[in-house]
Amino acid sequence: MKNNVSIVISCAGMGTRLGLGCTKALVEIEGKTLIERQLEILKDYDDIRIVVGYQAEKVMEVVNSVRRDILYVFNHDYRNTGTGASFWLGAQHAREYAVALDGDLLVRPDDLIRAVEYDGCCVGGTTPSTDNPWTMPTETINGVECVTGFSKEKGDYEWTGLAKLKTAELRPGKRHVFHLIEPMLPLPMIFLHTKEIDTIDDYERAVRWVRNNYED
Amino acid sequence: MNHRVFLFDLDATVTKEEILPALSEQVGLTREISELTERTMRGELPFKSSFLARVEMLRPIPVSKVAEIVSKVPLHEGIVQFIREHVEDCYIVTGNLDIWIAKLMKKIGLPMSHCLCSTASAQDDRLIRVNSVVDKGRIVEQFVRPVVAVGDGSNDAEMVRLAEIGIGFGGVRPVAYALMSNASHVIYDEDRLCRFLRTLYEEEQEEKQDEE
Repeated sequence: MKNNVSIVISCAGMGTRLGLGCTKALVEIEGKTLIERQLEILKDYDDIRIVVGYQAEKVMEVVNSVRRDILYVFNHDYRNTGTGASFWLGAQHAREYAVALDGDLLVRPDDLIRAVEYDGCCVGGTTPSTDNPWTMPTETINGVECVTGFSKEKGDYEWTGLAKLKTAELRPGKRHVFHLIEPMLPLPMIFLHTKEIDTIDDYERAVRWVRNNYED
Repeated sequence: MNHRVFLFDLDATVTKEEILPALSEQVGLTREISELTERTMRGELPFKSSFLARVEMLRPIPVSKVAEIVSKVPLHEGIVQFIREHVEDCYIVTGNLDIWIAKLMKKIGLPMSHCLCSTASAQDDRLIRVNSVVDKGRIVEQFVRPVVAVGDGSNDAEMVRLAEIGIGFGGVRPVAYALMSNASHVIYDEDRLCRFLRTLYEEEQEEKQDEE
């Protein structure tokens, strides 16, 4: 297990699209919130940072009930900034590598571990499934499939919000995490099985997926 | 690059219990003093007047007795360890009175010059008057080095807001809302807090080496 990694989970946003009245990381699947599921997978890692903003106290209360040794980082400007700003704040004073992870991402446990343990930097992609996704064109460099950009037009993989990056190379940003990644490209692509939960239909699909041991 | 300084609130940050309520048993005013303390920490009462009112209630206790009780309040040993390892760079910032906490400071291993606190005069082992009540925000402003501040109550909110890195520590009770709204970080676990402080400490050392 790598100990040169800080994991930054962004839970600052409002996640209003699902209409559940809570931040998306607190959505429950099979009796467990998305954030609890992530923390369970990451139980062996000792530098977990959770960026909070909207409903910060609620997020901290849920997390504290399962794990206490968390560094909570505040994004007080969560209304006007995106996950890029949250990740930037969370990656301050971090170890050699910082992993960006959205608190509302449902990801297959072994895939998440594979990304954290990846030897060097990587960017997580998945099969496009959402409306109007950000996709990633790739190119094979020295036998490794690498992400070369983020696009609304081209690319076979959908951007997942998950990436492992070198902390020292990060520059500040306010919008999406991929805006922070763009200057570092090309970087190796890592394929992840994920489920995005934006609608009630997505939610029901996600529940079935988890019940079926993360198989479609 | 400037060295960071580390400022710690005393009650319920360095100590594991509130100090004034621990004293209140001596005068049989436990409920009154606890209530005042809780309301003050929640930000419902201004610190200065509430503190003076609580001091007034505790005034009958001999100063040496107060100092003795205060020196026995249980401490967060991990935080104390960090302070001992970095005495030159650490300060305790507390509304509590110099004559009441001097003995505890000695036990922690911090000279009174690194304890920025309220002050009072005593005569014949009796407190005669309070001379000054500390303003924690002003103290941060006086430092010319970047400040890391750690606290838990409403009266720490300004200190945390003005610091480069303002940490709310919820080791004893929930971090006050006013403080949380101004903090850059919140931590509930003492070991995690100490690890983060060490990271911040080591970071500045590395930056210094880079310059050389």
